[in-house]
Amino acid sequence: MLGRLAPRHERSFFTEDEEQTCRPLLDRLLAADEGPDKIPLFELIDGRLADGWTDGWRYEDMPPDADAWRVSLAELQRRSFAAMAAAAQEHLLESIRTSERFADMPATRLWGLWMRYACTAYYSHPWAWSEIGFGGPAYPRGYKNIGVGKREPWEVEEVDSHDPVPWAERVEAARDRMVTKTKG
Amino acid sequence: MSTDNVRARNESAWLLPDPLTQTRTPWSLRERMRRFGGDEEVDAVIVGCGAGGGVLAQRLARRGWKVVALEAGPFWDPDRDWVSDEAGSHHLYWNEPRVIGGADPVPLGSNNSGRGVGGSTVHYAGYAPRFHPSDFHTHSADGVGADWPVTYEELRPYYETMEQELPVAGQDWPWGHPHRYPHGPHPVSGGGDIFLRGCQQLGIKALVGPVAITNGVMGNRPHCIYRGFCLQGCKVNAKASTLITHIPDALARGAEIRDGCMVTRVEVGEEGRATGVVYRRDGIEHRQRARLVVLSCYSIETPRLLLNSASERFPEGLCNDHDLVGRYLMVQGAAQTAGRFTAEVRMYKAPPPEVSTEAFYETDPSKDYKRGFSIQTVSPLPITWSEHIVAQGHWGEVLREYMRDYVHWVSLGSLCEFLPLPDNRVTLADEKDCHGLPVAHFSYAQGENDRKLMRAATSVMVDILQAAGAQETVTIDRYAHLMGGARMAPDPKNGVVDGNLRTHAVQNLYICDGSVTPTQGSANPALTIMALAARLADHLAGTA
Repeated sequence: MLGRLAPRHERSFFTEDEEQTCRPLLDRLLAADEGPDKIPLFELIDGRLADGWTDGWRYEDMPPDADAWRVSLAELQRRSFAAMAAAAQEHLLESIRTSERFADMPATRLWGLWMRYACTAYYSHPWAWSEIGFGGPAYPRGYKNIGVGKREPWEVEEVDSHDPVPWAERVEAARDRMVTKTKG
Repeated sequence: MSTDNVRARNESAWLLPDPLTQTRTPWSLRERMRRFGGDEEVDAVIVGCGAGGGVLAQRLARRGWKVVALEAGPFWDPDRDWVSDEAGSHHLYWNEPRVIGGADPVPLGSNNSGRGVGGSTVHYAGYAPRFHPSDFHTHSADGVGADWPVTYEELRPYYETMEQELPVAGQDWPWGHPHRYPHGPHPVSGGGDIFLRGCQQLGIKALVGPVAITNGVMGNRPHCIYRGFCLQGCKVNAKASTLITHIPDALARGAEIRDGCMVTRVEVGEEGRATGVVYRRDGIEHRQRARLVVLSCYSIETPRLLLNSASERFPEGLCNDHDLVGRYLMVQGAAQTAGRFTAEVRMYKAPPPEVSTEAFYETDPSKDYKRGFSIQTVSPLPITWSEHIVAQGHWGEVLREYMRDYVHWVSLGSLCEFLPLPDNRVTLADEKDCHGLPVAHFSYAQGENDRKLMRAATSVMVDILQAAGAQETVTIDRYAHLMGGARMAPDPKNGVVDGNLRTHAVQNLYICDGSVTPTQGSANPALTIMALAARLADHLAGTA
């Protein structure tokens, strides 16, 4: 696993221009934290595309994954995505998510592709596992305490337990209002 | 039946490396494997080494047949090749290019296609229910689907032997044809506990099992350690895959398992008999001659190989005189609904699935749809779980916040019996793979009955979770399993193979995988594919 996560020294798939747009795109899609513990989303996806590490299948009305990335980044670049403030970037992304087409592709499928690559990179990282309370490989020791509310000796109780749903609904509602305003 | 009887007919579990003393030694069985020449006419060449091909290779080798099984992917060493890492297990799936389309396209990859010795059984969940007797005659009974040329009673003895060999653990099963399992149920997980609680509130019967995972020691296979990585390849050798349940015995009995071999066409001679197969290994073309050819490449690659084996005699593809190859391909509607609970559940600490109900499996005359669905616990790992949240439209901060709450969620999965439709099919795309062969195009559209089943199943899952105290539920529409694509029927105008899995068009060409089934029930298909393979072996031995 550590081998899989080892960062490459050089960008190998994206161009410099694409990198400048791709980094803020990924940061917005996953609300990525800044700082030393930032999960290297760009590097993981760049390496994956360079290796041709796709899921194999593609929709008949979508280009191959690598082309979908390049074409969509070019369209974001044309709209000066990288130069926008974070809030403006979020508005643009939400409008793409809810639109019919973007960069001449079905927008829901492009959105699905972005999110699939971004989430696979993010939630493949042990820092993300710690964030969500997932114990990771658990091999060879396995788990011996299974059941509701049961913990292994090395698992800890949540520090801050609250239902994210009401909070998430507020954020989504605010997002809807902003997009409606932008479209209007 | 005791394990001694299992050992007498299938020694696989006792041939594996002893986990206490030899954990990291490679299988000596592989080094000593018998090898056949390509020009040597073997008794059978089997293309694909998964649920169907793996069982068949073992059974035929036991009978002294000269058997070569060709597998496109690698010969795995579970301890060396597999990792306890969701993203790092990507290589277990069939990731060769495929194109999907139709009104309701079905994404492929990790969820339904395996690559390597063991095939999909390497990354399936190991859930091993039988089909119900009604599954074999849905057309007569319910006026939908198709009747099989095989009955439940004919398959029943093979279900029983497979359940012993895997082995399957679970509570006594009251649905379909009531039966017991050779091993008692696994301990109930957090998710299973909540599922049972919700069902109890609503008066729905739900039970633990049938899980094809060792619940005790069997030969050199240890007890499950509940680490939750069943879908990433079981390093422990607790979960049954044909790689560990049938291949070791096949090797010991003289079968050759040749990995890294992508079969590109089936050759048919002038007399209309199959003479062998052409395959590529390390970029070089080879042949394997055989008296009998068996395709076990599953619902997409078996039709693709037949279509790619077109010839003067079969211009539209091998065995495709009646335009049936690739048609009637089915997926099960597998919507999943998850609920959030105040308690910490950690749903991943368990076999996924573990607890299930088949109370909705059969046609209910009071409903406006035919056939039914089953509901099982599932326990997605983090990357897969993120798909559930993304499916709600969430991203950015909201996605992260939902994900942070992972340990509070319980996920249930449905398997809805989608009906076989002729236009749900595999054809050849214009795109070529790295061997220069046209890739598969898989088109899918749901029927009205299918949509009604998905809605009904989702509503039951929501009810169960709410009855158990869920604060919130989220649902994702998805699909699981593949069946059909080269279905069986008594006559060539309705099926590619007959009830003995022999192709109607070529008398020494057989198909032994999930593609032969005319309907799919709402049970996970692996056990039925294995049972069909064991039955085919008996048939072949009888006619040899």
